[in-house]
Amino acid sequence: MLQLSTIRRRGIEKGLLARPEKARRVAMIGGANLHPLVDFIEHFATVLGEMHCEFWVGDYDNYHPEIIAEESPLYDFRPDTVLLLPPERRCVYNGPLASSRAEQEEAGRSVASELLALCSTIHARSGAEIVIGNFRLSPYFDPGPMRSANLISDYAFCKFVNLEIGARLPAYAHLCDIEFLSNRRGNLSGVDDRRWFESKQPFAAGLLVDVAREYAHILTHLGSAPKKVLVLDLDNTIWGGVIGDDGLDGIELGTTSPRGEAYRDFQLCLLELSKRGVLLAVCSKNDFEIAVEPFEKHPEMVLRLKDIVCFKANWEPKSDNIRQIAQELNLGLDSMVFLDDNRAEIEIVNQFVPEVATIWAGDDPSEFAAKLKDSRFFELRSVTVEDVQRVQQYKQESERQRLLSASTDMAAYRDSLEMVGIIRRFDRLDAPRIAQLISKSNQFNLTTRRRTESEVLGILDDEQVSAFTMRLSDRFGDHGLIAVVVGNARGEDLVIDTWLMSCRVLKRQVEEEVLNEIVRLARDRGCTRVTGYYIPTAKNGMVRDLYPKMGFAHLREECGTQVYQLDVGPYQMIQTKINMKKETYATAGSHRQVAGSF
Amino acid sequence: MQQQEVIAKLQEVFDGAFLQRVEVSPELSARDVEEWDSLTHVSLIIAVEQAFGIRFRVGEVEGTKNVGDLADLIVKRLSKG
Repeated sequence: MLQLSTIRRRGIEKGLLARPEKARRVAMIGGANLHPLVDFIEHFATVLGEMHCEFWVGDYDNYHPEIIAEESPLYDFRPDTVLLLPPERRCVYNGPLASSRAEQEEAGRSVASELLALCSTIHARSGAEIVIGNFRLSPYFDPGPMRSANLISDYAFCKFVNLEIGARLPAYAHLCDIEFLSNRRGNLSGVDDRRWFESKQPFAAGLLVDVAREYAHILTHLGSAPKKVLVLDLDNTIWGGVIGDDGLDGIELGTTSPRGEAYRDFQLCLLELSKRGVLLAVCSKNDFEIAVEPFEKHPEMVLRLKDIVCFKANWEPKSDNIRQIAQELNLGLDSMVFLDDNRAEIEIVNQFVPEVATIWAGDDPSEFAAKLKDSRFFELRSVTVEDVQRVQQYKQESERQRLLSASTDMAAYRDSLEMVGIIRRFDRLDAPRIAQLISKSNQFNLTTRRRTESEVLGILDDEQVSAFTMRLSDRFGDHGLIAVVVGNARGEDLVIDTWLMSCRVLKRQVEEEVLNEIVRLARDRGCTRVTGYYIPTAKNGMVRDLYPKMGFAHLREECGTQVYQLDVGPYQMIQTKINMKKETYATAGSHRQVAGSF
Repeated sequence: MQQQEVIAKLQEVFDGAFLQRVEVSPELSARDVEEWDSLTHVSLIIAVEQAFGIRFRVGEVEGTKNVGDLADLIVKRLSKG
């Protein structure tokens, strides 16, 4: 490290190496010996950030007077950026051991306030951006597990102060998260007290390099826009295998195999990025129709077509496709990152579109997510973004609270849920989930008739059967497919062979909507009656009285099975708080015309 | 390792640490080298420890007057850990 830095400076001195064009005036102040930390920062800024920094370095532990004095060399230097490394030995709780939590927090807040006030002074007097280091946590066992019970321990106190600094950081200040860097490395290995006693070195050599690298990273990325688009390969990148060769049921994806699970997990990580506002695009060497198939049909895919902003699957070079994606999205190439498991493709992109950053995923899918997360391309940089999220979180939380307090009034509660329901005829894609519900539902299940997936598929072609599912979502999320009904037309009767529901949507008026649909189907088929059976089991007591409650008349009992009947003619559709979507086949006319997708 | 071998290896470390060429000898001290101030000293000692895979005790290095003393200390730490 030292040697590299020396060689480079020697080269610059002799005119062999050019100084980078980007330049910054950087002041570093703090409560420790700042050499060689500053030298390392300068090295990393040049080598990794291609930025030349002219440095002014404050005296050991003199940052306070340097910041507040009327006449100070800090401001004479006219810095663009000030790096501040506060002394960790002063981030301790000094109050009485038997103090209240409120007193401890107050002490922590005042340490944070003091540092933030210094930042504010620096900014007011120089206009400089500030990068402030926070505090690492003690690696030693003392005072035992009680360290995490209150703020008296240095460990908990530093943690609290760090949170306070982070949460209250103004827009002109940026965090060098030393707590995190030290955790990542292992707190114990970052400590070298001998160096502190001898020459006031803040950290052991390894952590010193980590911290220098981080200061340099923040320094060189100030004001630069973060990446916006992640362009993904498909085969062996988001699923295992080659879709063109292995087919929809041959690719590895999902919880049935370790590799399949790793790919699925990687997709979850990609979806998280997308929720954070990163645009996902696809660039794959495939026939388009084949490449989109898993996105449309594979049950274990996490990513769906709606998550992909631009989908390129063809046989043109990836470099050309990536240029096109940039054009279509109207974004610069330098805002794009390309991820592929194939080194050759990475190389082509590096050569032909060098503005695009690349990540080689490697050949072990269990490591893909970690590689992406450590690439640092998509970090949340500005505090304002976090502010927005925080506002939303608070908003959601307060809304839930409001709902809870209003929930004594059931009608108002249901209204406030903003439920949306979709009813669809059985179809091939839903078959696995339908079969799963049929085999697992015990409680809200009138007849407990089990069917396999292939039996479910058999129903699809049976003219005498009216079978449908219902999905429900509300403002808090999608519950997915939650109800299954199978009806058999027998002359004047529509016999309910199966009616089951997921228990998580009870008391949501789903039953009412399902019955509305059953009656609608009966009328479509010209049936005058709906017949329902209740076959008691050890577990389905909760629906013993469902039919009478819904207005069915008790007809007879056959060996424990209760038979109920409803006249279709006088039945009035029940109004509910569920907003039934238009694309349901029932409202669109005959069920044979259904083809709605969602 | 004898003092002479240590000094030969120290030459490599010094070459990596200073911009100018510094001829390492037992008599050499910080006063003889313009670049060798208290700040460079810190980096230099880190580099020495890494090069030899040793760890000085607190205050030991301060007690050395020249490179010869430092080399003796390195020999001592190499034999005693």
